[in-house]
Amino acid sequence: MTNRNTEMNMDLNEKAILAGRKKKNLRIFFHNALICLLCVIWLIPIVWLVLTSFSAYSGMNTSTFFPRQWSAIHYVKLLTPDTVNQFPAWFMNTFKIACWTCVISTLFVLMVAYAMSVMRFKSRKGLMNFGVLLNLFPGMLSMIAVYFTLKTFGLTNSHIGLILVYSASSGLGYLIAKGFFDTVPRSLCEAARLDGCNEAMIFFKIVLPTSKPIIVYTVISSFLVPWMDFVYAKMILNAGISANYTVAVGLYRMLDKSLINTYFTQFCCGGVLVSIPISILFFIMQKFYVEGVTNGAVKG
Amino acid sequence: MKKLIALLLAAVMVLSLAACGGSGTTAATQAPAAETTAPAAAPAAAEPIALTLWGAEEDQALLAELVGRFEAQYPDQTFDIQIGVESESTAKDTVLTDVEAAADVFAFANDQLNDLIAAGALLALDGDIAQVLPAYADKTIDDVKAANGEGAVAAASKDGTLYAFPMGGGNNYFLYYDSTKVTAEQAQSWDGLLAAAEAAGSKVGMTFASGWYNASFFLGAGFVTDMNADGTTVMDWNGTSPDGFTGIDVVKGMSAIAAHPGFLAIADGDISNQIASGAVCAVVSGTWDAGAAETAFGEGYAATKLPTFTCADQQVQMSCYSGFKLMGVNAYSKNSGWAVLLAEFLTNEESQASRFEARQLAPTNLKAAENDAVTSNVAIAASAAQDVYGSVQNVGGKFWDPTATFGQMIANGELASADDAAIQAALDTLVEGVTAPVE
Amino acid sequence: MEAKISGLSRLGSAISGFLAVIGRFFAEFGTAMAKGDLFVKLSLILWGAGYFRRKQYVKAVLMTLLEIAVIAFTLNFAMAYVPKFGTLGTVQAEQVFNIQTMQSEWNDYDNSFMILLFSLFSFVVWFAAAVVCLRNVVNAYELQKQAQCGKHINTFIEDVKEYFDRKFHITLLTLPALGIIVFTLIPMLLLILVAFTNYDQQHMPPTNLFTWVGLSNFVALFGGNITSTFGYAFVRVLGWTIVWSFFATLTTYFGGILMSLLLNSKLTRGTKIWRTMLVVTIAVPQFVSLLLMRNFFANTGIMNTICAKIGLTGFLRSIGLISTSYIPFLSAPIWAHVMIILINIWVGIPYQMLIATGVLMNLPTDQLESARIDGASPFQIFKSITMPYMLQVTGPALVTDFVKNFNNFNVIYLLTQDVFVTTNQLMANSQAKEVDLLVTWLFTLTQDYYNYKMASVIGIMVFIVCAVFTLIGFNFMISGDKEGTYQ
Repeated sequence: MTNRNTEMNMDLNEKAILAGRKKKNLRIFFHNALICLLCVIWLIPIVWLVLTSFSAYSGMNTSTFFPRQWSAIHYVKLLTPDTVNQFPAWFMNTFKIACWTCVISTLFVLMVAYAMSVMRFKSRKGLMNFGVLLNLFPGMLSMIAVYFTLKTFGLTNSHIGLILVYSASSGLGYLIAKGFFDTVPRSLCEAARLDGCNEAMIFFKIVLPTSKPIIVYTVISSFLVPWMDFVYAKMILNAGISANYTVAVGLYRMLDKSLINTYFTQFCCGGVLVSIPISILFFIMQKFYVEGVTNGAVKG
Repeated sequence: MKKLIALLLAAVMVLSLAACGGSGTTAATQAPAAETTAPAAAPAAAEPIALTLWGAEEDQALLAELVGRFEAQYPDQTFDIQIGVESESTAKDTVLTDVEAAADVFAFANDQLNDLIAAGALLALDGDIAQVLPAYADKTIDDVKAANGEGAVAAASKDGTLYAFPMGGGNNYFLYYDSTKVTAEQAQSWDGLLAAAEAAGSKVGMTFASGWYNASFFLGAGFVTDMNADGTTVMDWNGTSPDGFTGIDVVKGMSAIAAHPGFLAIADGDISNQIASGAVCAVVSGTWDAGAAETAFGEGYAATKLPTFTCADQQVQMSCYSGFKLMGVNAYSKNSGWAVLLAEFLTNEESQASRFEARQLAPTNLKAAENDAVTSNVAIAASAAQDVYGSVQNVGGKFWDPTATFGQMIANGELASADDAAIQAALDTLVEGVTAPVE
Repeated sequence: MEAKISGLSRLGSAISGFLAVIGRFFAEFGTAMAKGDLFVKLSLILWGAGYFRRKQYVKAVLMTLLEIAVIAFTLNFAMAYVPKFGTLGTVQAEQVFNIQTMQSEWNDYDNSFMILLFSLFSFVVWFAAAVVCLRNVVNAYELQKQAQCGKHINTFIEDVKEYFDRKFHITLLTLPALGIIVFTLIPMLLLILVAFTNYDQQHMPPTNLFTWVGLSNFVALFGGNITSTFGYAFVRVLGWTIVWSFFATLTTYFGGILMSLLLNSKLTRGTKIWRTMLVVTIAVPQFVSLLLMRNFFANTGIMNTICAKIGLTGFLRSIGLISTSYIPFLSAPIWAHVMIILINIWVGIPYQMLIATGVLMNLPTDQLESARIDGASPFQIFKSITMPYMLQVTGPALVTDFVKNFNNFNVIYLLTQDVFVTTNQLMANSQAKEVDLLVTWLFTLTQDYYNYKMASVIGIMVFIVCAVFTLIGFNFMISGDKEGTYQ
């Protein structure tokens, strides 16, 4: 816009152009300086996390920003299991759980979203309203009931139980994906139907291939859940077998009063190591994520 | 729609069939009587005796070793003992969420005893179960009681019934100080401590915002806490103690300490961090911080009983809650006989001696405590010196939040300028909250 | 007011619609029973009868098997629990130690919680079975009519094919719905029922039994004499919860839009790099980043050290804003409230920024151009073009965000747990803090005090308040049904 203005004003005298450019450059500078400042503010805690993880001191250092002595020893310690720390096992557990959660959640969300968006059946509106209602009840409260339900099926202290907890109800989170499917032109589906496709074929051959952004979005959001949750995981993995923990439970335990002085820096290392793969995932998928979240959130 | 429901139901059926299968096992855990009659004839031969054991993170290696010794002691039995991690300070939370799934034997701190008993999670050790000790371990429950210190046995008992085996003591608090900045004499009173700290440009730290710590002032002045049979807490802090002090006197004494520039109010759980950061030259804490204090104070590392504080113009010795680490047996343990034997074994003289070596936990076993290494341990000696003034902690769950709030108010100086009526009102509200009916 | 009315009328039409569906269901069943032949009537008792008559043998067998499954479920499972639903159990646990086996022997005791859970489970199964049973009769009658008219009756294969075409939604919805029923619906119903029992620390299964107490927990919350301070704490916690949800939602929403405008402006160099830097903050688990923040702003943390060095602490003391030697960022009521909202901005903006970026990509550019040519200032453009568009598009999401913040456990719990000690004694007497949200309060009540009955009452209140806000919100935000717009 500004560029075109300058082009249009070519015939004005040179001084004005120069002054305009100068002013524009100044604006660009301040504009970017502001963004830079904001990014610095946003990154301070992250930078502090990384710095602290390279401290030679094992306890919590809350008085200085930079560690007094640098060392990568706690990364080494974190990756060598002891009775408290089983980070490699935790990481693998969480990765496994996250992958399964991701597959099941994505399937469920897409299935519900397609049914609610593309198909028309009698009780559709009623089910959607019911879904909104279910989302209003604080899930924290029903934890104990979920626990005993799992126990009935013998699934406490098992990763299958955790996968179920994270993914079984995921169908309720269909709204964003539904919003996305709403934007798929109906004419495409109609045409396919005339060509003799049934609903299942439309779902698999027409709608899914055009839904890459929303699939990526759902995959990322459901993949993140097991890495972040420490409340449910702690309740369900209650046999005290450290090697079965997820990253969140294991790391959270390191903050126990009797352990924090020995394990705080390792806790920070764990935080860094967990966020690296997730950051990479975000970085690669950024474009799709933005498209998915927007097209969906928009019309949800 | 109809088919939706039909299909839904079909799926529900599949699950419910699974549930039927599942319910079989639930019924079994609920009524093990039915199936336990069968193997009665040959208890040793058939399947191994499955037990689960929870201990603190720092105890894991030791527990594995002790369990090995336990198994060796009964060579004609086969065991399958699983060791899990559960912090002693939070064992109650995990156990009470699902008692039936909790470990057969678990370690916990004695402040959780009342809640565990109320929920029926602990096996009373004096009952029929006591016969396993003479039958298999060549001692009686009275031998166990006699072998441990009186305070420890009292802390593991309720209404004369023993509910857990004392595992370790010294779970109280006392004073660590840096003798290069504070003299032994100054460490005898808050006045001396605070003056020394101010002179040295350092601080004296203590947690006020926790009933466990701030009770030491009230208990020292002769006030008490106790528990009724229905689980409610008894508290007289808003009255006058048998020693003639009023609650107002104590609050004023605490407020004076909190207002002193040499005082640092530390958040509960932040103590070891403050010691390590070098912010304090003296601090009220327990044996678990011995390592941190030794590192931070270096040459000057010293510990002693709690100081006296000024209450109504007199010097009053601070008290404390005597704390112990206990080993309890789950009331819902299936193999309860072997669970009791295991718990007893893990807390006997040799095991306590090993535990002292492994993690400096003061033995409650009188013989184990006579060891030179134990008596010469600075922190344990201070803990024992303070224990003389200690009292058994008998409080219900409602004790904690109101007392923490009360301590925080004093630490913030909110009661420093208040008149007697306002302090009395605050004390009354405190007592009302603590003594409220349990639900 | 208008919104309220339209909300109520919407609610009204939803309810009447629901009743109409039920009415139609029973009408169809009535007709089928009246006009159906013997086999139709018989299929009420023998589910496969109607299909058998029309030679749909596979279906007949399947339905009969299903019926057998329901009966087996009832006899083997449900009957062990449902009869005790009225009392929630009467047999207290008792044990005897047997020295011979070295094991404890238990009586066949009742567990109130399990009775409640499995009874509910049975009710749900029976409800579904009843619907299937009645529906089954109607189906049999439909088949009879088709046969009488001489129409083609589907073979089993054709029936199955239907589930991938006209009835594909059933295939799609079955598993997700099952998951929701078992892991959300039943637990939710269970905790709603708990609000009418005395399930608390004095009545904890399996050792103790609990039972129905009617509405007394609700009475206790609203000024009864059992827990005199619960009502006091409830009002304050609810107040802060609403204030928090309001600010947390709006600050991150507008912050996200502004941030996205800033990043996507033509003046920005390296948009992608800046955006990635912000997104990294999403990738760090909250329990790590927020716990670090908590230490950062602790009474003895880095922020306080810095403030003391630059003299800010002294200045605040001198003007009487603080009375302590530190700034109580997260340990005094008003300070903590403000800090929590600020830190939540840090947490929420990157996410909202991503959403806003995408939405603004679709902003109709012709409008922008013409506004610029008309000489509108950036602020005017923002006010009259960007914002209305954003609101129109993301309005419903705003309402859902509000509800999410209402139940935002992580931020509050991680920032204040163990750090914030209330100095309000009445709050402390009901185990609440000034910074508690209803959801963190009920978490404390269940985790530390096992007071499930009061937690459930509070949970129901959360549900009601959220429902009211959602109803109002949706009516403000959604001008009409936009579903068809893009199709």
